[in-house]
Amino acid sequence: MQFDPMTPIWLQVKRALETDIVSGLRPPGEKLPGGRDLALQYSINPNTAARVYQELEKDGLCETRRGMGTYVTGSMERIAALRREMAEKAIQEFLSKMSVLGVSRQEAARMILKEEER
Amino acid sequence: MFKLMKYEFRKTWMTKVILLGITAAAQVLFLFGLYGDHDNALGLSVFLLTMLAIGGVLVIGLESVITLHRDMNTKQSYMLFMTPNSSYAILGAKMLECGLSILITGVFFFGLGALDISLLFVKQGELNKLYEMIQQMIHTINEKITIDASGIASFLFSILAGWIGTISTAYLADVVSSALLNGKRFNGVVSFLLFLVLDWAMGWTAQQLTASITSINQSLVWSGVISLAFSAVMYFATAQIMERKLSV
Amino acid sequence: MILESKEVTKLFGSKRAVDGISLQLEKGHVYALLGPNGSGKTTWMKMAAGLIKPTSGTVAFEGAPVSIESRKHVAYMSTEPYFYAWMTVKDVGKYYQDFFEDFSYERYQKLLQKTELTEDLKTRALSSGMMAKLKIAVTLARDARVYMLDEPFNGIDLLARDDIRACILEYATEEKLLLLSSHLVEEMEAIADRAVFIKEGRLVENVDLDDMRSQRGESMADRYREIYGHTEG
Repeated sequence: MQFDPMTPIWLQVKRALETDIVSGLRPPGEKLPGGRDLALQYSINPNTAARVYQELEKDGLCETRRGMGTYVTGSMERIAALRREMAEKAIQEFLSKMSVLGVSRQEAARMILKEEER
Repeated sequence: MFKLMKYEFRKTWMTKVILLGITAAAQVLFLFGLYGDHDNALGLSVFLLTMLAIGGVLVIGLESVITLHRDMNTKQSYMLFMTPNSSYAILGAKMLECGLSILITGVFFFGLGALDISLLFVKQGELNKLYEMIQQMIHTINEKITIDASGIASFLFSILAGWIGTISTAYLADVVSSALLNGKRFNGVVSFLLFLVLDWAMGWTAQQLTASITSINQSLVWSGVISLAFSAVMYFATAQIMERKLSV
Repeated sequence: MILESKEVTKLFGSKRAVDGISLQLEKGHVYALLGPNGSGKTTWMKMAAGLIKPTSGTVAFEGAPVSIESRKHVAYMSTEPYFYAWMTVKDVGKYYQDFFEDFSYERYQKLLQKTELTEDLKTRALSSGMMAKLKIAVTLARDARVYMLDEPFNGIDLLARDDIRACILEYATEEKLLLLSSHLVEEMEAIADRAVFIKEGRLVENVDLDDMRSQRGESMADRYREIYGHTEG
């Protein structure tokens, strides 16, 4: 994974895992790699990897079972909420780019529909 | 300690192998000259063997000083000084390896010389004549000296011990140069002068202390013992400087 | 705290190579030691390894000044090649095995397998890239408490750098301290969690990198340019 050096590494790995959870690549209840393995997979510092899980847990996206490891949350509602959050964020980013280009919201919506027809 | 000595030997063994090789060649030449009745070959081989005996002991000592110098002043110094060994162990291994090598080489050449002289005698049947000739020659120089086994052994001991003393003085001067005078002006000159003064002091001390001994043999042995004691003092002083001040 | 530098100064002649550095390094972290050439990184590391004696101040390992004892637990790798000229790759491993109790020849062989190095190669004949890998392999084959690697990515091609990063990370456990110096700042962004900046022999700062990124929106490379930009041009 290529990191953006301006953004905290833990945040970038957290976002990558969130995308995996929402997309179903890491389904609800699945065991996540241990902290050290996560560090090796992403070539990141183990402390950073530990931070990733802390933050995911804080957001209710994963749970640590003592002695067993870390698991993706089993709560479909929480995952659905995450999907909404991420989608909203993507739309916000999209719209702000459009507004820079001088494209109004209605125009943008029309363009999206047109794109779908193709 | 043994491991350190092993590597000290490993650093210098090439010279020793070469020395042994040339000596073997000269010895073959000697045997060829002796039993083939080639007087020129015999003469040349005796000259070569004498030179090798003196040169060998000198070279082994000098190489040891050069190795110490390299072990303090090149990147290979890290190899020694990052290991968990004290300066006492590092220097001790060097001195023991060098001292033993000098003693073994000296004794080896002495043994070889004795063997060759005996062979010469047996072949020419004139052992007694030669012995008398040498005895007479030495008497003209100093009439107190008589040649016998203990005399020769004492002489050998005092020479080798004296050389070990000189080498340990060179160690000290080199460590002072690397640890205390590094980067300073006249470093080389000052440390060389230190070497000359200390080496002279060792000789002078030995002379003063043995002056009252009338037996030549005993005075030789004592001067050797004094040289070795001096080496021990040099060793402690050198290791102390290394331990406290040496940066590699 | 594992390594502590208290007011450490080193003079070479009249030049202050290290100038009053006070610094505390804790286990469980990977530190990037940063600064341009000649800023004092190497000199400081050599003092922590016990190779160079400070002019004043002390570097302490677990509370006691660095000594023969600390060398048993501190694995140091210098930038320059330092093996004896007669050594083969095998001799290098045997040498470490002879002197370091924490060295594992098996692990050394395992690390060598990741490279194109073979045990029969003469160190004298190695290219600079191969030499760099050999130094890393023999240093990491120790199970030390502190690893200090001076410029571990120097002379190593881009692809092999990933391997080396992976090897280094394998050793970065809670019980160990890793200190990596480099002028290739980008190579260290993700594997280090803290950075120590040194300029002209002085400590500039010792920071948590993710804090720096989130609080100041700066990358390690940005901060590097900010600190050294003016002097380096």
